[in-house]
Amino acid sequence: MTDMSALQSDAASDVDALLTRVARGDQSAFESLYRSTSGKLLGICLRVLSDRAEAEDVLQDVYVTVWNKAGQFDAGRARASTWLGTIARNRSIDRLRALPAPASRAPIEIAENARDPAPSPSSHAEAAIERGRLDDCLEQLEPRRQTLIRTAFFDGATYEELAVRSGSPLGSIKSWIRRGLMQLKACLEQ
Amino acid sequence: MNTHDPFANDDASGATPPSDEVRAGEYVLGVLDAPGRSQAQARIDAEPAFAALVERWDQHFAWWLLQVESVAPSAHVWPRIRTDLGWPSVGGARGGVWNSLPFWRAATGLAVAAGLAAVVIGVRPPTPTPAPPAVVVQPVEPPAIEVPEAPRPVTVLARDDGSTGWVATIDPVASEVLMVPVPAPADPAGRVHELWLIAEGAAPQSLGQVSGDTAHTIEVPAALRDTLAVGATLAITLEPQAGIPHAAPTGPIVAKGGIARI
Repeated sequence: MTDMSALQSDAASDVDALLTRVARGDQSAFESLYRSTSGKLLGICLRVLSDRAEAEDVLQDVYVTVWNKAGQFDAGRARASTWLGTIARNRSIDRLRALPAPASRAPIEIAENARDPAPSPSSHAEAAIERGRLDDCLEQLEPRRQTLIRTAFFDGATYEELAVRSGSPLGSIKSWIRRGLMQLKACLEQ
Repeated sequence: MNTHDPFANDDASGATPPSDEVRAGEYVLGVLDAPGRSQAQARIDAEPAFAALVERWDQHFAWWLLQVESVAPSAHVWPRIRTDLGWPSVGGARGGVWNSLPFWRAATGLAVAAGLAAVVIGVRPPTPTPAPPAVVVQPVEPPAIEVPEAPRPVTVLARDDGSTGWVATIDPVASEVLMVPVPAPADPAGRVHELWLIAEGAAPQSLGQVSGDTAHTIEVPAALRDTLAVGATLAITLEPQAGIPHAAPTGPIVAKGGIARI
């Protein structure tokens, strides 16, 4: 616990190691885990919830869950960062669904021949951040499927919200996203 | 396009229930409404095969998840987690802020904050410097900001998680401390922030209440003037409003910083 700098610069594999120690009930590992991952997890919560108080409330809940369920983490099957991030995201979406209907968010432009998908944190940061296979596979989809899938993911938006925001029939939205998902999976699992 | 769509035969029109594969993807993508999510979550718990599909999708989308920008949580989150777990709200062994990289990263943002202070309060820097961008200092990611010339050395009071809580600018001649907070949510218990001056090895001395959202100047009593020196520490605790300045702190330390230069 004395060398915080080492913890902060930890690579993902060290987060795996910390979480494994947390699973054994190591409180100081839990504190280190919080210090090295809470910023990222709050970022994930805020992406979905926007409201900081709600996001921090969910974050609190997430870490309590992490402590209680760390035993379920299997380092052989997933990275700790993914495991943690997924809990944060799912809790945030559950909270979003439980809140009164959000103020309507920005309309989605899904013109079939649109050149650029709607701006999103990932495309916004693309210059600075390494592109992933996911981005490459997404790019093979037709533009409106790209836009819908990105927006759904980053806003945690339901089919119904996507239909309203894009001005398209619900059935079409479902169809585009479902087909998009299958194409994406085929590409990712090639 | 559809003629080449390998899944054109898969009825994805929304009228028929989708395959488990698609359902799992929808859950992870986040498009299901509350009942749809509960249903999917019940299946994850009950059906290992469905859980495996979800896990696969989680891994596919993990890339985007981890691209999200980090945001340092407020100082109150960690003590609350400890309380929820039935632990004392403040932990035992601490590495101390001086060993903390986030602290030093926060410190690289201090000149920016000092520049902001100059703008907010109207302190004139010796030479005109362009107003710095109004950034939120996020110590988790080292800020790639060109540091403008600071009008006066500042002391960063870092929170427990390494984020900057306040930036203090000490004016020894006027015997004043300008406190510029990085706004954070108020204490839900209604406590206020109290500033303490701590000479090395001595007991904390209260400098009174400090705002958590507005920059303001705090006068240092004549008796403490000599203590306000390099080597001393400024710390902020949460205290009941009644009775400020208190004789001694009772609440948790929310931020602290050592005075390195004046």
